[in-house]
Formats: sequence, structure tokens, C-alpha cells
Amino acid sequence: MASAATPCVDAAENGAGTTVPAKQPPITDAEIRAEFAHHDRAVARVNNGTFGCCPASVLAARARWQRLFLSQPDAFYFHSLQPGLARSRAAVAAAVGAGDPSEVSLVDNVTTAAAIVMQHVAWSFAEGDFARGDAVLMLHYTYSAVKKSIHAYVARAGASVVEVPLPFPVASPAAVVAAFRAALARARDGGRRRVRLAVIDHITSMPSVLVPVAELVAICRAEGVDKVFVDAAHAIGQVRVDVRDVGADFYASNLHKWFFCPSAVAFLHIRKDDPVAAQLHHPVVSSEYGNGLPMESAWIGVRDYSAQLVVPDAVDFMTRFEGGIEGISARNHDKVVEMALMLAEAWGTFLGSPPEMCGSMAMVGLPGCFGIESDDDAMRVRTVLRDDYKVEVPIFHNSRRADEEQVMDKDANGDQVTGYVRISHQVYNVREEFEVLRDAVNKLVLDGFSCSNLRPSEKVLCH
Amino acid sequence: MASAPPPDDAPAVENGHGHDNGNGNGPSPPAKRPRAVISAAEIRAEFAHHDAAVARVNNGSFGCCPASVLAAQARWQHLFLAQPDAFYFHGLQQGLARSRAAVAALVGAGDVSEVSLVDNATTAAAIVLQHAAWSFAEGRFARGDAVLMLHYAYGAVKKSIHAYVARAGATVVEVPLPFPVASADAIIAEFRAALDVAKAGGRRVRLAVIDHITSMPSVVIPVKELVAICRNEGVDRVFVDAAHSIGQVPVDVQDIGADFYTSNLHKWFFCPPAVAFLHTRKGDPVAAQLHHPVVSQEYGNGLPMESGWIGTRDYSAQLVVSEAIDFVNRFEGGIEGIRIRNHEKVIEMGRMLAEAWRTFLGSPPELCGSMVMVGMPGCLGIESDGDAMRVRTMLRKDFQVEVPIYYNSRRVEGQEMAKDKNGDPVTGYVRISHQIYNVKEDYERLRDAVNKLVSEGFTSSKLQPSEKVLSQLKRFKKLWCDDLPANQHSLEDTVADYLGVGRVTTASAAVATMA
Repeated sequence: MASAATPCVDAAENGAGTTVPAKQPPITDAEIRAEFAHHDRAVARVNNGTFGCCPASVLAARARWQRLFLSQPDAFYFHSLQPGLARSRAAVAAAVGAGDPSEVSLVDNVTTAAAIVMQHVAWSFAEGDFARGDAVLMLHYTYSAVKKSIHAYVARAGASVVEVPLPFPVASPAAVVAAFRAALARARDGGRRRVRLAVIDHITSMPSVLVPVAELVAICRAEGVDKVFVDAAHAIGQVRVDVRDVGADFYASNLHKWFFCPSAVAFLHIRKDDPVAAQLHHPVVSSEYGNGLPMESAWIGVRDYSAQLVVPDAVDFMTRFEGGIEGISARNHDKVVEMALMLAEAWGTFLGSPPEMCGSMAMVGLPGCFGIESDDDAMRVRTVLRDDYKVEVPIFHNSRRADEEQVMDKDANGDQVTGYVRISHQVYNVREEFEVLRDAVNKLVLDGFSCSNLRPSEKVLCH
Repeated sequence: MASAPPPDDAPAVENGHGHDNGNGNGPSPPAKRPRAVISAAEIRAEFAHHDAAVARVNNGSFGCCPASVLAAQARWQHLFLAQPDAFYFHGLQQGLARSRAAVAALVGAGDVSEVSLVDNATTAAAIVLQHAAWSFAEGRFARGDAVLMLHYAYGAVKKSIHAYVARAGATVVEVPLPFPVASADAIIAEFRAALDVAKAGGRRVRLAVIDHITSMPSVVIPVKELVAICRNEGVDRVFVDAAHSIGQVPVDVQDIGADFYTSNLHKWFFCPPAVAFLHTRKGDPVAAQLHHPVVSQEYGNGLPMESGWIGTRDYSAQLVVSEAIDFVNRFEGGIEGIRIRNHEKVIEMGRMLAEAWRTFLGSPPELCGSMVMVGMPGCLGIESDGDAMRVRTMLRKDFQVEVPIYYNSRRVEGQEMAKDKNGDPVTGYVRISHQIYNVKEDYERLRDAVNKLVSEGFTSSKLQPSEKVLSQLKRFKKLWCDDLPANQHSLEDTVADYLGVGRVTTASAAVATMA
């Protein structure tokens, strides 16, 4: 087990944590409950996707690093921090099939990784490497923070931003590929416009759908897109990640969502031989500026780096499960689909995408009688579920005002389905939690619940 | 619910609300029961997590955090872990707003909307400098317009100036500062001269970056005067990098009058690593143009809100400012009393060392806060940054003394190197700090360590690796630890660390056996 005083020779041992060592029995249910005893027991926590989770043993490892720093911070800085981060980068490199740990940088989260990529693109426009009007492609369902980052950096610097409208509910990967091809053709404008960057989610956030990224990256290469950034915030620990298979120029995923690291740590992968790698900089410039993104990201001033130091400990945790992370994600997938089908049947609705487009998360339609007509409505329903039923689940409002002529699917009662829950399954979840969600929604239906009752009245708004 | 669950022994009245109690420490609880001043034993207990074997005279680099504030931080972390969504929707922003309000009161801000919380001053610098870079890129500033900074500006800030504004087309002008420095007037004179250079030929000076307290060498700069000079001389904007200031010197942002003012709260204000504030003046149009470089959904909602959400991460260090204020209020005179006593003590210890080593202080007491530079005996022969780092490492490993060492280059134009009482040029200085957990023995151990080195005839050249060792170490580095930064974790230290040896000079023997 990597510890503060152990030199980096441990990196090789800790890197490939995908199989259970011969003599160790798999973790038991009781041990899992103990590892997550800090979760509020009263809550049906079916939203691992948003904030992830961290087992007690990894939190304890983080606490050891924090105490090391507090005890003698200078010694920690000079002797422990960088070797520890190097071990974490090596563990990530092994987990994602990277050629070399030097391809891996650790940052707080994918939001930060996006800022790194977008800032580089902005400089390219500002310094004339890209021409004003050159295109940047993104998905309609790209995460809102990334959309803002594209606006704040590349649109501001002169890019034309083209969105790929994606169907939802979605029937197959082919539907996504077709929409992508069409949007890319629009962006390229028959070759009259350069497409400098394509931003593609590996798993979209809301609504959550597994996107066929390898195929889309290949299309980008074939169509002359300069660079591809895969925002895989949700991917590692949910689906198999092999950065060479995906083939993107930039690939980023959060380790605190599905990889059992504490809040928060993510990696940004860049291919070793790519000249652009030397041009990427962390926006918080420190004394490490110019030493390469891995080193720049490893020191951005005094802060608590402990979440980034326990990746080997998270890898160790996963090896306690049958089949390691692959076993975990396969079982999560099976369970979340099973629970989603259970909910859909109980509510008379349907899944937002087929199981092969789900990882450990699934979108399930809410009864149309809820009358969810806006993002605010969705948030209010979510709050009711949290406050009155102790269920934590994010809700997506699927707008009727889609650009394409999209027929809104109807539920078993013939009502238009405009709201979806996004359920997650992680190792700590039990069936009862999804049943609590099922029963809460059924009760609301029985009570004649409708969003129009929750919206502030004209009278209230006038205060 | 806006606050974390209180500790079991919290006073009945909730802390952090109520009227300012008049001593500049921010809101205090109304009708508070008088609480006994913290005792020496309680202070020791608050810092029991410090390695007791180490003479920790370097509060300036990483600061410190008392156990009671760490406990408050842990309560916030548990809240997040228990139900992160509820924390996000109901706890986080309210908690950050309370912290911002506490900071606003502390620094004499006009309004809480003037305060943003960020990780550290390094981040604040990136925010200001990125904005300046956009101004160049978008043509509001012309290529060649000047940005002024001090020669002793912090290394990271210098790199940030290079990475953002120099890259975008600015002319960067440095203010050379004398060191050792005799008075504030010497600093002001140099600043005026550099400003004249910057303005030469009618050039616009778009930004002046001025440290409130420089890091290495550490000197308190007369920022109020320098800001006034900037205003008179038509400098567009002034950014005061006050990383070390809050808790070390009085901070009144309206009095100082800068456009941007940042200080770390984890250095001298007892917050956990890491949290800093960036202050901008209300009504300043530029405030709306500042953005956090990590863009989130909050983009465009103002820097305080943008900084309040930069994606999922641990914000707990930013949530305990009120608890840090409660902590300082347990001391006689609050933070004012603490910093005044720290100042008196560090000067006393500085003079004790200077007398023992037959050297001198790098600046007069009025240019010191809770830190002071003390010349090391010239016979130590510190002739490079590498020498300074090696001596520092040796003091850490062999004497358990933690103190940063500054190498003062001889190659400053027109300046004669000051000499110690033996007639040797003083090229190395320790930067000692005094914080509430320090005791006289810490400085005596430093004193005795250096005296021992002197009596043994130590010189820095003894620690310099030979060519042979350097090439062996390079091969070792390639084999084992390719990712280590060369300038922060020396090759010799890597080997010594791995082999568990003390003095770095034995590493060469060890490498030889491994080959």
C-alpha cells in the first residue's frame, strides 16, 4: 500500500488494480456498509453521478496525508508531495491505458480540465494560429459549465460555436452518430470552414447517455477536425476507459465520481508525442510554469492536495471486489438497468435510452401528469422528493420545444413525458432505495401532484 | 441551515453574528459571556499536531491552523460526505457568504460584494493577470504598454505576469529594490525611478503589481504611499499582492486604496490550507470584467459567485473564516494583539540571532511584521540558490530546524555587499517567523545549529555535488522518478530520501554501491 514515506517504486505495484489478489476474499456487504457509514442513512441516495462517493478507508488515507502536511508542511512539500503525486499519476496512467505517466495531469475536476483546453484554444485565436470564425463543435447536451467555458474562452476569442442537437429519448448509438455527422458537415461548411476543436461527452450529464466516442473521434479525424476533447467526467469507473482506443487529443474524467477518490480529483490525458501538449498550461500559474502540464498542475500554490494523493488507495479499494473495477461497473450497470425497468413499469413510463447506452446511470421517465414544463419545475420536484420523501435524485426537464420535429413520448396514461429521473447505482446502493423512489412518485401521482401547484403565484411574485 | 453543526462545547450564543466589537476583528456574538484569555497550555493543545521535534520557525511559508478550526473544517467535510446534494443546495453558498462577510468586516471593505474567496494569492494573481491579457488581446491595451512589478515579486506571480501579460504584448518593467534595506524611503525612491522608466516616451502603465510584504527577502513595503504615487502618475490599475499580510500587519483596503488586493488566510489568519480573498472596489467597472479562470455555470454572475463554485471540490477551508475569527478573539487584543506580540518577539529573536552570529537584520523593525531576515555568517559561503537550499535541507535533516534561507546575489549594480563582524560578505539570510505557537527554544536551536556549523568550518561548497555524482544521480532519476521537478526536489534529496540517509553527501557513496 502506497504510504507517505514509500518511494515511487510502489507505482508499478499499485497501478494495475483490476484483479483480486489470490488469497483475499471479496469484500462483504457488512464491510461495504461500514465503508459508507458516513452516508446519511435516512436518504435514498440514488444520485452517485453528481458528487460520487468515497469509502472510509480512502478517506482515512487522505487524512494521513493531511496530518503529514500539518505536522511539518515544509518537509511534506520538499519530500512527500511530488513523489506522492507521481504515484497517483502512474496509477491513473495504468488504469486508462496511457502510454506513459507523463501523459497524465491531475487537476481538481473536469471543469478545470476544460478551462485548460479552452484557454489554449483562446490563445490560438488571439495569436492568429486560428482565424476568427473558425468553428468549435460541441453537443447540445454538453455539460453547462463546459458550455460556459467555451463561451468564456473560445467564443470570446472569435470562434463560431456549432452545437450538435441530440435526440432524447434516444433509440440507438446510430442516432447519435447521424446527428453528429450532420452537425459536423454544417460546421465544416463544405470545407470552407476549419473545425478547430470538437468537444464530445463520453457520457452526457443531463440527460445521461453513453455516447459512442471512439466512433465520433474517428469521424472527426476523417473529416479533418484539428483536435478532439472528450469530456468524460462520468466515465472512469462506469465504463471501460482506454484512451488509446478512444483516440482523442484530450481526455478528462473525474476520479471522485465513480472511482472512489475523495472530492475532488480528475485527470487530463494528452498524448505524449502531441506537440500541443507543451502548449497547454494550468490557468493558475506557479513557479512550475513551462515544466509541462503534469508539473504545472502538481503545484498551483499552497492548497490541500490530499485528494490527489490517494488514487493508489482507491485502486486498492476496488481490488477488494470480485473482478475489481470491471466487476463493480458491470454489476452497477446490471443493477441500474434492473431498477430502471422496475421504475418504468411501476410508473407506466420508459427508459430514456436503451441499456447499451447506459453505464451505471439510467434516465427513467416520470409520469406525465407531473406536468414538468421547465428546469425550475424539475428542481422543485427534486426538492419535494428530498424534503418530503428523503430521496435524492436529479430530474431532467425534456423541453417540448426541440428544434427537430420530435414526437414527445407518452406514458401509459397517454400523458406527454417531459421529466426524467437520472438514477445511479453504486456499490453502496440497495434495492430498497429505488423502491422508496418508486413509492414516493406513486404517492405524488395518487395525491394528484402537479408542478403547477408548486410554481409561485402571481401574488407571491409581486412581493 | 447556513452553518455547520456546532461543536459540543460551543457557547450557547451562535458565533459569528452581531455587531463589530470595535477592535477590527469582525462580528462578535452579542452579550457574550467573558471568556478567559487562552492559556499557554491551551495553545500547545491547539497545535499538538505540529511535529514537536522540529523548531518550526517558518510560519510564513505554509501558515498554521489550530485544532479547533480544523475540527470546524471536519464538520463541514462530514456534512458534505453525509449528503452532498443537500450540502450543495442548502449549505455551501450560505456558508461561503458568511465567510465573505467576515472577511469584508476584517479588511474594512465597503461591502461584502467586494470580496471573493479563492484558494490562494497565486489564484488571485491569475485572475487579475488573465483580465489584463484579455485587455491586450482585445485591443483595449496597446502592445508595448507597461506592467510594473517588483524585483522581489513572488516567483509564481512573476511567472504569471510572463504567462499572461508579457505573452499578450506587455512591456514588463521591474523595480529593483535594495536589500538589505535601510528605510521605506529607499523603497519609495526606487519605485519612483522605475515608474519613470516605465512611463518613458509617453508609455501607458496599465498595471502595477506591488507586494505588501515581499516573500524572499521579506520586507514590509509602504504600499499606501506607492499606491498614491501610482494614482498621481496615471497608472491605470494597482494590484497589491498581500499574500502574507492579513494577521501580520493592519489591513484596511480602503486606506490602501488599491484596485485589487489579495491576501492568504491560511498563512497568518489561522485558516486551513488553503483560502485567500481577492478584494475589488465596489463600483469599479473592472470588477465585472474579472473572471475566475475555471469557468462554471456561475460565469457572468460576478467574481464572488464565480469563485464560490468552480466545480465539485472541497470548499471546507473557505467555510471556517468565522471560526478562525473566534479563535483569534480568544487572545488578548484579538488579531491586533497577536500580531503586535509576534512582531516584538520576532525582532527580539532576530536580534538575538544577529548578535550570536555577529551579523545584522536585513531591514529595520519598522519594515518587519511577524517575519525578519537575519544575516547568516558569511563564512558559510552561500553563493547560489542551490547552496541556500542545500543548507536549508541540512538544517532540516540534521538539526530539525525548519527555516527558509535567502541567497542575496552579489551581482546587484552599485551595491556593496554588507559584511558581518568577521569581515565576510553576508550572502545568506534566514527568514524567521514568530507565530503564537513558537517558543524561545525554537530560535535557540537555530542559533546553536548555525554556530555549530561555523565552529566545524562548514562551507556550502562541501554540499555541492561533484560532476561524477551529478551524472550518477541523473541516471538514478531516469530509472526511478522521472516526474520529479528538478528545481524543487533535488536529485540528491531524492536519493537521500530513498535510502533514508541524512546528509546528502553520503548519497554519492550510496549511488556508487547501487551502480
